[in-house]
Amino acid sequence: MASFELRGVGKRFGGVRALDNIDIRFESGRVHALLGENGAGKSTLIKILTGAIMPTTGEIRVDEATVVIDTPRRAQELGIAAVYQEPTVYPHMTVLENLFMGQELRGTAGMLDKRAMIAAATPLLERLRLEPSILARRMSSLSIGYQQLVLITQALLRDTRLLIFDEPTSILSREETARLFQIIGELREAGTAIVYITHRMEEIHQIADEVTVLTNGQRRGTYPIDEISTEQMLSLMTGGHGSARDRDIPPAEAGTERPPMLEVEHLTVDGYCEDISWQLPAGCVTGLYGLVGSGRSETALAIYGHTQPSAGTIKLDGETIRPRHPAQAIQLGLGYLPEDRQFQGVFLDKSLEQNLTSNALPGFSKAFDLLDLAGMRRFTTDLMKRYNIKAPDADTPIGALSGGNQQKGLFSRWANLPLKALILDEPTRGIDIGAKEEIHRFVRHLADRGMAVGVISSDLDEVLAVSDRIIVMREGHIADTFEHGPFSAETVLAAAIGSSSSADGRRAQTAEENA
Amino acid sequence: MASTASTGSRWPSWINISARELLLIIGVIVITAGISIGSHGNFWNDSNLTNLMINTAITLVPAIGMTVIILTGGIDVSVGSMLGLVAVAGGTAFEHGVGLAAATPVFLVAGAILGFVNGALITYGRVPPVIATLGTLSVYRAAAFIFLGNHWITMIPPSVTQAMVLTQPLGIPIAVWIALVLIALCMVFLARLPRGRHIFAIGNNENAARLNGIPVERIKLAAYTLTGVLVGVAALMSLGHSPMVQTTTGTGFELTVIAAVVLGGTELTGGRGSLLGTLLGAILVGLVQNGVVLLHIQPFWSGVVLGVIILVSVGSATVRRAAD
Repeated sequence: MASFELRGVGKRFGGVRALDNIDIRFESGRVHALLGENGAGKSTLIKILTGAIMPTTGEIRVDEATVVIDTPRRAQELGIAAVYQEPTVYPHMTVLENLFMGQELRGTAGMLDKRAMIAAATPLLERLRLEPSILARRMSSLSIGYQQLVLITQALLRDTRLLIFDEPTSILSREETARLFQIIGELREAGTAIVYITHRMEEIHQIADEVTVLTNGQRRGTYPIDEISTEQMLSLMTGGHGSARDRDIPPAEAGTERPPMLEVEHLTVDGYCEDISWQLPAGCVTGLYGLVGSGRSETALAIYGHTQPSAGTIKLDGETIRPRHPAQAIQLGLGYLPEDRQFQGVFLDKSLEQNLTSNALPGFSKAFDLLDLAGMRRFTTDLMKRYNIKAPDADTPIGALSGGNQQKGLFSRWANLPLKALILDEPTRGIDIGAKEEIHRFVRHLADRGMAVGVISSDLDEVLAVSDRIIVMREGHIADTFEHGPFSAETVLAAAIGSSSSADGRRAQTAEENA
Repeated sequence: MASTASTGSRWPSWINISARELLLIIGVIVITAGISIGSHGNFWNDSNLTNLMINTAITLVPAIGMTVIILTGGIDVSVGSMLGLVAVAGGTAFEHGVGLAAATPVFLVAGAILGFVNGALITYGRVPPVIATLGTLSVYRAAAFIFLGNHWITMIPPSVTQAMVLTQPLGIPIAVWIALVLIALCMVFLARLPRGRHIFAIGNNENAARLNGIPVERIKLAAYTLTGVLVGVAALMSLGHSPMVQTTTGTGFELTVIAAVVLGGTELTGGRGSLLGTLLGAILVGLVQNGVVLLHIQPFWSGVVLGVIILVSVGSATVRRAAD
């Protein structure tokens, strides 16, 4: 009986506590499901188990003995392996080479012993019902589902005793999912300990023996699967949201009375979202909630002209628009604050002033198109004051500021443009609580000024806190719309997860990062 | 045109000829025919053939190392300056009366040091390969200027030419035999030893390689150092061919080497390619340079041809990837 146990494990990234005092035990022959929202700490937990990062506190015990997993190699030696959402493979190499990479069998003179490797792999292939001829195929010629099976074979070859599946079905077809579940069942019978990470409720009852719910890096509880209902799981997942539900309720029907400012009809972006119709009313904050990969950002990027939708119409203030690129969208009065601050939002090594004025430059050109430098400085110091951006001076590189101040700077840049509608994508991800509350206040001011504001967020607390109305997306479709408060955290989350076990079929594939 | 798996092939698995390599063989035949007709028989005389073979060997030896580097997803654009600086070091040894046997280690060690510096900058200094070697391209060239000034090294002992070029077992110069032995060894290494496959793995997916416990940094460092050593070998060969060192020795050589590798089908994005392709690529590049001389075409045209070769090869790889 192999066992893998975390005792009091915690992990901090700077000021952020990703995992807090986690006690959890995985045993051979059991499928242990981990359930939690994006950012609940599931990924951090895998990374700790597979040696990608070290915990800040606590200990890990394997077969009742304390171990230190400081490298991926060490995790391998302990028999721990993970199959990730997007398979990590060598695309131009054969399946056989992929299977044995780093653990090759050698024959005479240290040369590769292909025959021995084939002989070692064949029984495992049979176990997974794969044809032996697959060994000679190039990895890139296989579907994602088969690549996953190759990785499982690889894990078995390496005597894996704890196999972690990280949302393995999110990119699989229904048939592939069924086959995977069968294989997981067989692995369990054979005595492998399995960790199964998902946010699909219906899968948990199908496959797991026990379930642990995580929220905000904390363990909410571990239950044998037949002692917990879907409703109880949902309520555990939303357990941390109590305070948000008690906030002041916005005036009833605030959203519906106002004229729509931005309207989207039947918008489709191939592979990401389909037939999306919604509207952002003026003077109102609309929360766009959904799990990572539900197609929210892709919808926004298509509206903003960064990508082109394959079908649908977009209306701004009653006029049909079709921006070809973001600059055109901004000119029309439509803004988008990107989710990835570091890569899409700011020029890290440029000064605060250069960052804040970068999309307002035409306003500063005077005679002969020369820039009004003094005016730019006044403008910058004014924004710093109004949005409480803490920096030594306007010449400080924005990369030297805290995440919160960077985000406030970025926000001020957009807030100051004469826009009719603005979509904020994950406006407070990774910033401290103080800056978060400030930004929520600024968002409210924008709406009060009559702008139509959309807030995309995977953070349920945030959506509940800032929104007048909430649109929930799931797997590229609109799952539900809540026109006015009071919102129930359980209902909103249930819509996003699709707990009514309606979430089947092939999920929209997404390039969105795995938070 | 996926290089088909070796099952069912009549060839031993490490030869494994792909469609591209077949195309290169046809290219070699066609260009050879073209030059022999256009040059009125000058192509087939002994001195031209020796000339062609030696030049090809001088390109091929560093191209072996370059192939390994590019397979890992890197590149070394400094080999021209490296060849120049190694030639200055070795040539200076000759000037001080050191004989061939004692000077050979000077060439190899000098090359190893320069290659190691490149590799260290890239692996431990975390400088992107193009930038790191662009920097050393400039530094190594400047160093050659500082050591040599206006001086030319002409006191290369005749024994070098004798050993490298004039001794011709089976009608093939020693330099060419050295190149063939080196490439054969490296082909076996890449195809049959785990380390060889690790090189491909790094170019395919560096992070996965690291997760599989492959010492990525050490392997890359070794690849750049190996290339330095091979440049040392090439420098010695080139002194046997034209016994003179000046500050400009080796200028533009990197382009020839990279062209041979890329023409041979090794992809600049890493993870895919072959040494057989590099061998054929080096022969083709040698033929083009030889043909330009024999057909009395202005020499700068060979630069145009090399540049176009690189662009077309990279372009066709992009098309192929899009088709995958």
